[in-house]
Amino acid sequence: MAEPLWRRYLRFFGPDPAADADDEIRYHLDRLTEDFRSRGLGEREAQEAARARFGDPVAVRRALQTAGSRRVRRERRAEWLAALGQDFHHALRRLRRERGFTFAVVSVLALGIGAATAMFSAVDAALFRPLPFASPDRLVVLRHVNVPFRAEDFRPSGGDGADEAPRPVRFVEITDVAELSGVFSHVAAYAVGGLNLDDPDRPLRVRAGVVSADFFGTLGVPPALGRTWLPDDGTPDAAPVVILSDGLWRRQFGGGAVLGRDLRLNGRAYRIVGVMPRGFGFPEGSDLWIPLSVPIIPATFEPFRGWLPSTVVARIAAGVSRETAAARLMTLWQRRAADARVPGKRSNLEVTVDELRRLGALTPLQQTLTGDQRRALLILLGATGLLLLLACANVTNLLLAHAATRRREIAVRAVLGATRGRVTRQLLTESVVLAGLGGVCGLGVARLVLELVRLLLPPALVTVSPPHLDLRVLAFATAVALLTGLGFGAWPAIGAGRTDVGETIKTGGGWGTTARGARRVRRALVSLELGVALTLLVGAALMLHSLQRVLAAGAGLDPHSVATLQLGYAGSIPTAARMQRIEDVLQRLTAVPGIEAAGVVNDLPLEGQAGIALLIQAPGRPALPGAEPLFARYLIASGGYFRALGIPLLRGRVFDAADDSSAKVVIVNDSLARLLWAGVDPIGRPLHSVWESPYTVIGVVGDVKDASLERPPPPQMYFPVRAMTPQTLSIVVRGTLPADALLRRLREAVRQVDPAQAVYNVRMMSDVLGTSLRPRRTNTLLIVLFGALALVLAALGVYAVVRHGMAQRTRELGIRSALGATGGDLVALVAREMLGATVAGLAAGLLGAWALARVLASQLYEVKIGDGASFALAAAVLLAAAALATLLPARRALRLDPIDVIRTE
Amino acid sequence: MAEPLDLLRGTLDLLILKALSWGPAHGYAVARWIERATGEALAIEEGSLYPALHRLEERGLVSAEWGTSENNRRARFYRLTPVGRRNLRHEADGWTRFARAIFAALDAPANPQPVGG
Repeated sequence: MAEPLWRRYLRFFGPDPAADADDEIRYHLDRLTEDFRSRGLGEREAQEAARARFGDPVAVRRALQTAGSRRVRRERRAEWLAALGQDFHHALRRLRRERGFTFAVVSVLALGIGAATAMFSAVDAALFRPLPFASPDRLVVLRHVNVPFRAEDFRPSGGDGADEAPRPVRFVEITDVAELSGVFSHVAAYAVGGLNLDDPDRPLRVRAGVVSADFFGTLGVPPALGRTWLPDDGTPDAAPVVILSDGLWRRQFGGGAVLGRDLRLNGRAYRIVGVMPRGFGFPEGSDLWIPLSVPIIPATFEPFRGWLPSTVVARIAAGVSRETAAARLMTLWQRRAADARVPGKRSNLEVTVDELRRLGALTPLQQTLTGDQRRALLILLGATGLLLLLACANVTNLLLAHAATRRREIAVRAVLGATRGRVTRQLLTESVVLAGLGGVCGLGVARLVLELVRLLLPPALVTVSPPHLDLRVLAFATAVALLTGLGFGAWPAIGAGRTDVGETIKTGGGWGTTARGARRVRRALVSLELGVALTLLVGAALMLHSLQRVLAAGAGLDPHSVATLQLGYAGSIPTAARMQRIEDVLQRLTAVPGIEAAGVVNDLPLEGQAGIALLIQAPGRPALPGAEPLFARYLIASGGYFRALGIPLLRGRVFDAADDSSAKVVIVNDSLARLLWAGVDPIGRPLHSVWESPYTVIGVVGDVKDASLERPPPPQMYFPVRAMTPQTLSIVVRGTLPADALLRRLREAVRQVDPAQAVYNVRMMSDVLGTSLRPRRTNTLLIVLFGALALVLAALGVYAVVRHGMAQRTRELGIRSALGATGGDLVALVAREMLGATVAGLAAGLLGAWALARVLASQLYEVKIGDGASFALAAAVLLAAAALATLLPARRALRLDPIDVIRTE
Repeated sequence: MAEPLDLLRGTLDLLILKALSWGPAHGYAVARWIERATGEALAIEEGSLYPALHRLEERGLVSAEWGTSENNRRARFYRLTPVGRRNLRHEADGWTRFARAIFAALDAPANPQPVGG
């Protein structure tokens, strides 16, 4: 029983496990049947006997078939892998041979992928990644909610001005919020200050989180050891207790048993009751936490400079929306304002309620931590997105050009028998390898960029949610590049498949004028690249211009050759003794040759926090219609401070040794003087603030920017240090000594007076300004960097297109030259092709820049979004780059020898 | 003819390898060799040879290719690979030791003394 002959031919179409199994079984059955027949059985019996001997052929067939298909699959896979390995090998060899091309593609990809990955990682940390607290989306910061004072502690004592403090105004208080129990499940106040850790070997300044009783409950973070606060710990007369951070516990106690031991802070013993888990340092990388008593007592102020920069954070109860919570809180505010209303007068509380209406009574905690940088980060993220787009366009361009030059090679391979699929796969493998290399190098670029971006993030945020290089993003960006690579690797590959082989070889491959479509695409890509580059360049120019304006505006002081340090005196040191120490330090400093002036101040300008402002009343001053209440910054300084920091004295005099608490004198800044006594000499006038008796103005000094270089200086008033000696202060010295020596002398002077006194933030004033300016500087640097990259990429794109066009048209150019065209004519011919693309790119770029400028508006400083100079500068730079990138390769036309050209054909 | 014995697990593979140790053969020839070699004492459903042969092929102990049989028909020929040959030697040793132990036990008296002490 022979098998049908045709079945043999089925095998031409590849292995067929089912047919193979059938054949094998049939062969066996046939042989058995024959066997039985030869022993004398009839046809039927023989078949039955064979079947009995063999068993169930269907089951066997099934078993063979599954095994067979499994084997075929495996063989196919092995074959495929072998081919893939071959392709990779081929691709690597090829890329190694074409180093220039490989380098260009990989670096373009790496820059695009790296920048986008770094920016996304930073934005993710700042905006998207949830804070490491329990249900962080329910945590909100309540604006303007106060922590109440214990009234008897803060009543003016009359005689001693040193103990005078501002009278509290009754706003909505943290206890009121706690009563909205259905709305907020927890509420807490926190502030970050500094304390001296009294270590006999090395006095240390630590960052202290001063936090109210329910702080840890609000965040939902349990301690690693011991306990957090008990409700009693937050009452005014509780025994002092402290909780350590994991870091301080390990540094100071070697991670040993600490619960129940004492820690001496500012000369006072605090019982250690707990240790927080590793990685927890909220707020602002606190080293330890002490209770914020509610109501506030004077001791609470010890870690601060006379004022408590407290933030109130609350957890919205489960099932309550943020909108409902905000509405309920707003109702509370409005009721307070209604209760306090005085006919015909706009109260402070009403002003506050108006502001809350505008800004919202509560903000998500994460948003508060990110602060002003939110917008800047998103803008930069957008910029890197554009950069990635540009990189992809550029790579596409390079690949298209590359593919065009390879048409001949591909055609030859097709003739030699490579299938279209094989050629396509070869080209795709090259694209994938390029994208992979780009991704790997992109990781390096991302690291560098992230280091820069880190400077942009507010410290309050970085300590809670530090940015990590996000490998998912790297993978994503690489995938984008890969898809671009695949997409545009496939395009020329398909084009190559379509190529008329004979024609390509006859005309000499890449030397013909085929692929006109590809050239059009490439010109469109160049337009896109130029457009994106111009957009970013305009952004960069606007930001640079702003930075320049900020720098030129100055701070109202002279930061050169000025050293500063900060220190906090323990509350146990009486006021008079404290003043004596300050005097001693200043005296020692002024005695040092090379030091020109020395002084102290409670709040150093631009040092991060703005300090407090007090309400000013000016009797006899004509009330302005609808005037808002006037506040002035509350500053305490010694006479030498103004000279040391280079703040000009405009009228009158500075403080001298006689200006103590009985003198009741004050110095005002120019702004305050103009507001109160426009056109009149302010010297000798009385200034009424929150104190019973007025202070007499003895001098007018220049305005100093204090919160930020970008905000106009507020009204400021200075009180003599002898009258209101602060506990925490900055010492400022100006001298001709080099920076190192100046800082050393400053530190020494403090130590000579009291060796156990901790000092911190020892630095040059120019560094203080630098830190204050850092976010803008980084922001500008990044956008300029991205703009410059975009410019280079776009120029590279133009260069590649022109260069390639030249190569393609060598023959045509040679003939034209032979027919009498001058070199200039040829250059013009080549350049003209780029003209349209450049003009289109310019138009697109201006449009893009117009949109970007609108988004950038909030980041600009005294620069209009339509700033002509910035637009013109950016466009000029772009045009110059495009012209250069066109003419550089086009110049080759000048050297063209027609005889050579025609001979090579 | 005695009552055929059931094949112990794994024995079939061993027998196939042994059958192929004489040279390449198709499934039918393997079945015949086993039948003759065991004096027809083993009951093999001959169909079960094929899954076993393919299993051995997947494990790389035998290789297979299509060829022409002695009666001029297309048949699949199996051949022992070097790995298969090594495996056969190893398995056969194991079997011999096993069988010896069983024989020793079957011939042993009521209280066997451990050999060597």
